Amino acid sequence: MKLDVKREENMAGTSVLDDIELIIEDIGGGGGKPPFGRDGGDSGDGNHRIPGNSSARKYAIAIALMMVAILMFFMAMVAAFLVLRMTSAKWIAFRIPNLLWLNTAVLLGSSATLELSRRRLNAFDEKGFRRLWMLTTVLGITFVLGQVIAWRELISAGIYGSTTLAAGFFYVFTAAHAVHLFGGICALLYVGFRKFKESQMTRNAAAEVTSYYWHFMDALWVFLLALLYFGK
Amino acid sequence: MSDHSSQNESAKNGDTLRRKLFSTDHKSVGLRFLWLALFSVVLGMALSLVMRMQLSQQVVGMFAANGASDRLAAITLLHGSLMVFFVLTAAPQCGFGYFLLPLQIGAREMAFPVLSGISFWMTVASLAGIASSVLIAPESGATLWLISVTCFSAAILLASLNICVTTIEFRAKGMTLPRLPITVWAWFITAILSLLIFSILLASGTLLLSDRLLGTHFFIVISQSPAMLPVIWQRWFWFFAQSEVYVAMLPCFGIVTHVLSICSRNPIWKERAVVLALCAVGLFGFCIWGEHMFASGLNPYTPLVFSMLASSLGVPALLLIFCWFGTLWGGKIRLSTAMLFALGFVSLFLTGGLSGIFLARREFSAGATNDALVTGHFHLVMGVAATFAILAALFFWFPKFFGRRLNETLGKIHFWATFAGVYGLFMSMHWLGLLERANSAPFSAEFQMLRTTIMVATVVTVSAQLLFLCNFFWSLWRGEKAGNKNPWRATTLEWFVDSPPPSENFGGGIPIVFRGAYEFGVSLGGEDFVPQHLAPDQMARLR
Repeated sequence: MKLDVKREENMAGTSVLDDIELIIEDIGGGGGKPPFGRDGGDSGDGNHRIPGNSSARKYAIAIALMMVAILMFFMAMVAAFLVLRMTSAKWIAFRIPNLLWLNTAVLLGSSATLELSRRRLNAFDEKGFRRLWMLTTVLGITFVLGQVIAWRELISAGIYGSTTLAAGFFYVFTAAHAVHLFGGICALLYVGFRKFKESQMTRNAAAEVTSYYWHFMDALWVFLLALLYFGK
Repeated sequence: MSDHSSQNESAKNGDTLRRKLFSTDHKSVGLRFLWLALFSVVLGMALSLVMRMQLSQQVVGMFAANGASDRLAAITLLHGSLMVFFVLTAAPQCGFGYFLLPLQIGAREMAFPVLSGISFWMTVASLAGIASSVLIAPESGATLWLISVTCFSAAILLASLNICVTTIEFRAKGMTLPRLPITVWAWFITAILSLLIFSILLASGTLLLSDRLLGTHFFIVISQSPAMLPVIWQRWFWFFAQSEVYVAMLPCFGIVTHVLSICSRNPIWKERAVVLALCAVGLFGFCIWGEHMFASGLNPYTPLVFSMLASSLGVPALLLIFCWFGTLWGGKIRLSTAMLFALGFVSLFLTGGLSGIFLARREFSAGATNDALVTGHFHLVMGVAATFAILAALFFWFPKFFGRRLNETLGKIHFWATFAGVYGLFMSMHWLGLLERANSAPFSAEFQMLRTTIMVATVVTVSAQLLFLCNFFWSLWRGEKAGNKNPWRATTLEWFVDSPPPSENFGGGIPIVFRGAYEFGVSLGGEDFVPQHLAPDQMARLR
C-alpha cells in the first residue's frame, strides 16, 4: 500500500474541473423534457420525471410509508396483546359494547361514500363529489363520536382501563385508532375545503391519496375489532 | 427598505435570527440538529465525568449516603439518553442527513420542508423534557422522561419519512440508484429501519404511559410477582434497542466508506457489495428484533435462532471490513484528520467486534449485564466508533457547512489524543470487568492501577475534546477560508456549489448527473477524478 502523505497540496489551487458548470435542468417553466442523450447510455431512464414536480406521487409515497409505520405501531401493540393474553394467569373476559357494531357499519359506510365521491369527481361532477365527500367526513366524525359514547357507556358500567387487562387494551386500541382516524378526518376536511386551482396537485390526486389512508384506517379498525372480539 | 437607523438594524437582526431558527431549509435544519448534538455531547460528557467520580468514590465508601444510588441511576439514564438519542441517532442521520442528502442527490429541498422543521422542534422539546426529568421527583421524572422519548420517536419517524420520500422521489435526472453516493444509501436504509423500529418504541412508550397515567397494567401485572415487573418492559424496550444500534451505526458506515474512498483516491472496492452489506445490516438488525418478539420464553429453539441471526450479522460486517481494506489497497492515502478519524472508526469497529465475540461467549456463564466489561464493550463499538465517524464527517464537510476549514494540526492532535484516550479507557474497562468476574479482591493493587488508568484516560479523552471545541469555535469564525469549492477533490454534487450552499442549492434548477459517485483514478484535466455531473462530451473536450 502506497502511503502518500500529501499535505493539503491540492487544497488551495483550483483546477479546470472546478470551472465546469453544472448542467442545470430548468424546472421553472412548463416542465418540458430537457435534452437528454449525452449519457453514456447506462441510465435507461428515458421516461424520467422532473423531480419534485409531481407532488401527487410524493404524497402517495409518503402515505404508503406512513401506513407501514402505523402498521408497525399497531402490530407492536397487538403483539403485546397476544403475549399478555397467552401468558397472564388471570385473563378476565370482556364484552365489547354493542354500539361498536353500529360504529363499524358507519365507518364501512364512509369508505363506500368516499369511493362514490371519487367516482363523481372523475366524472367531473363537482357538486356530487362535494356532497358525498362531506357525507364521508360527517360519517367519520360520527364514528369517533360513537366511540366516545361507547367509552362513556363502559365507564358508567364501572369498567375502566385499570379494571382488567382486556379493558385496558380496549381503551388503548380504540384511542390510538381514533387519534389516527382524526388525522384522516383532517385530511378529508383539507381536501374538501382547499382550493386546488393554483396548486401543483390536482384535487383528484389529493382525494386518491386521502382515500388510501381512509380505507387503511377502515381495514385496521375491522382487524382490531376482530382481535378484541375473538381475543376476549 | 431603509437600514439607516439602528432600530431598523436590530429589528432586521432579530428577524434574521428568527428566520434562521424557524427556517425549514434543509441546510438550516441539519445544522441545528448538529448544534443540538454538540450541546448534548458536552452535557453527556460532563455527566460521565460526574459518574466516574461518583463510582471511584463509592469504592472508598464515601458515597454510601442515602439516595446516592438513585442519583447515580438518574445520571446514568440521562447520560445514556442524551448520547444515544440526540448524538448517535440525531447527528449522523438528521444532522448530516438533512444537510447533505438533498445536495448529494441534486434536489432543491427535502420532500416536506415543514416536516423537517417540525421534527427538529419536537427533538428540542424532547431534549428539554429528558434533561429536566432528572431535576424533578423520581416518579414524575420517569413519566416526563417517557413522554419525551415518545415525542422523540415521533420526531424521528417524521424525519425518516421525509428522508425516504426525498431519496425515492427527488433524485436529480440521471441520479439512478447505482449512482447514489454510499452516504445516501446509508441514510436511506437507516430511514427505512427507523420507520419500523421507532414505531415500536412509540407503541411501547404509549402502553407504558397509559400504565403510568391511566392506571392500566400492561407492564405492571398485578397478579404476577414484583420481580417480573421490569422484565416485561425490558423485553419490549430491547425490541427497539437491538435495532437502535444499527440505526446509529448505519449512517456511520456510509460516512466512513465515503471518506475512505475520497481520501484514498480509489473507487469503493465492490461498491454494490457495500450497498448490499448495508441492506443486510438493516435487515438482520431488524430481524433480530423480530426474533425477540417471539422469544417470549415459550419456544426452546428461539435462543438458537437468535444466536444464529446475531452471528449472521458478522457476514455483512466482515464484508464491509473487506471492502474498506480493498478501497484502501493501493490508494494514494491522504492522512487528513477526516481520514484519520475514518481509519480510527475501522480500528474501533474491528476491536469492538472481537471483544463482542468474546462477550457473547462470556454471557453464557455470567448473567450480569451492567458490569465494566459490557460497559467497555458497547461504549467502544457504539459510542466511540460512532463518534469517530461523526468527527470524520465534521472534519470532512466543515468547509461545506461554513466555508472555512477546521485546523488540521489541532485536528490531528485531537485525533491521536482521543484515539489513545479511548483505547486506554475502554480497554482498561474490559480488563476491570474481567477481574470483577474473576472475583478478585476489589482493593487489590491491580484494581487500583486500572481505576487510575481509567481516570487518567478519561481526563486525556475529555481534554482532547476540549481542544476540539476550541478548534471548532475558532475555525468557525477565524478558520482558514476554504478557498476552493472542492477542497477534497471529491466527485459528489455538493462540492460543486458554493460553500455554504445557496438557498435553493443549485440556483433554481436541478443538475443532471452522468456517472457514479466514485470515479477516481481517471486522469482528466490534471486531476484524478471525474465529477458526477461531467457530461461525456465535456469529458471528451478535457481529454
